[in-house]
Amino acid sequence: MSYAPSVLRLARIPVVVVCLGLLLAGCGVNNIPSYDEAAKAKWSDVLNQYQRRADLIPNLVETVKGYAAQERQVLEEVTNARARATQVQLQIPPDVVNNPEAFKRFQEAQAQLTGALGRLLAVSERYPDLKSNQNFLALQSQLEGTENRIAVARRDYIEAVRQYNTELRTFPGIIWASTLYKNNKPMETFTVAEDVKTPPQVKF
Amino acid sequence: MSAAGDLRGAPRSLLGLGVLASGAPSLFGSRLTLRKSGKSGLRCRRTGERGGTIKRQHWRLALLAFVAFLLVLPALALDFPVLSGRVVDEANVLDPQTRAALADKLAALEAKTTDQLVVVTLKSLQGTSIEDFGVELGRHWRIGQKDKNNGVLLIVAPNERKVRIEVGYGVEGALTDAVSRLIIENAITPRFRAGDFASGITRGVDDIISVLSGDADEWKNRAARRPDTVSSTDSTRNDSIWPAIWFVLVVMCVVFICVMLAGALCEAILRLLAMLSLVGSRGSSGGFSGGGGSFGGGGASGRW
Repeated sequence: MSYAPSVLRLARIPVVVVCLGLLLAGCGVNNIPSYDEAAKAKWSDVLNQYQRRADLIPNLVETVKGYAAQERQVLEEVTNARARATQVQLQIPPDVVNNPEAFKRFQEAQAQLTGALGRLLAVSERYPDLKSNQNFLALQSQLEGTENRIAVARRDYIEAVRQYNTELRTFPGIIWASTLYKNNKPMETFTVAEDVKTPPQVKF
Repeated sequence: MSAAGDLRGAPRSLLGLGVLASGAPSLFGSRLTLRKSGKSGLRCRRTGERGGTIKRQHWRLALLAFVAFLLVLPALALDFPVLSGRVVDEANVLDPQTRAALADKLAALEAKTTDQLVVVTLKSLQGTSIEDFGVELGRHWRIGQKDKNNGVLLIVAPNERKVRIEVGYGVEGALTDAVSRLIIENAITPRFRAGDFASGITRGVDDIISVLSGDADEWKNRAARRPDTVSSTDSTRNDSIWPAIWFVLVVMCVVFICVMLAGALCEAILRLLAMLSLVGSRGSSGGFSGGGGSFGGGGASGRW
């Protein structure tokens, strides 16, 4: 007779464990890893879109060259900026989102490419033959679409990082951050606005 | 008690607004303030200086202002039209026959390919760009099937003279930016320039449908093109410290259990409220609703 209660007591342990687990989940013990993963996924989308832009540029440069070879300076600028951006992206450390310096380098390289590309497109406006070229039109629309996707991806990333960083620094999350997830550091976010392009220089 | 006096000094209208509009957080906030000011009152009496209380009053004001800002925030977001069907003619540029004909075509497309194409005309872009509005609207309405993200929006803003084809993640491979641009330049804007919205929109919809249902091969390898990117990360946690962690956890749990339960309850209530308000703002969908698809900024824009 004395053994029935002990079985009951044994059965109580899993119940307590399950309840504790549920309670912990209710307290947001999973929030930091899931926000972390979400932000990293958004970051890879940002990289993806920048890569897509870099892939489009050689075609665009070739097409423009066919009609406006004399715009050597602008063309070279774009080619160089693309090379630099690609190089920075290749050398990017895996922890770039936690590494302010690497993040800044990446950001600046891409901002430079954005500026150079803007000047190239502005220059193209001066060549009616180029503007009516079907290939150029297709490339231009792909490029515009990519710039728009970059803007969306950046915004999504900023939002995901905001959520993650807030979780690390606010009440229930800060407990888990200081115990379970000590390795989770706040992530970097974009500071240089993509839209701030240097105005195109018009030379006569 | 100086604490009570301080609280009375705070702008009552703001406090009232906070309590009225979102009960839980501001109640919590004001309770926090009370406790804080109680402490400060004690300290002030002991040291006999008034500067601390004044500073704290500033803090309280800032807190109240922040709460008020949070309440205003949703009002600053874009105001989306109600998804009343496959053709949402907010700007009222289509006649009922065209609207019905378009809706039939769009329903046939979804039956055939599961792609959701929605035509929307807007009274105003509310100060933002049509690209921005397009992504936000597509995500808000959740056009496209959840696992395929195959929604497309044809957005017309007659007052801003702008048009956009907003393409969901999953159909970017078929309806590329260049193809979207061609549809806009060739089928839509020439007719819009002549003031004929009905035929411009109809031709645009026909072209989009022919692209979406045209190529079977494209359709087949579409799924592989844009898988949802989720990066895997290596966990660097050491397994041997787990017992210690568990011990700390259990102790902490005992200490914080009540607070956390209250917090979880608060969160659940807030979430419920948010859901209710979402359901309320959605209104009747007229038998059509988005399938849960998302957008990433694909597509093209044009103006006339």
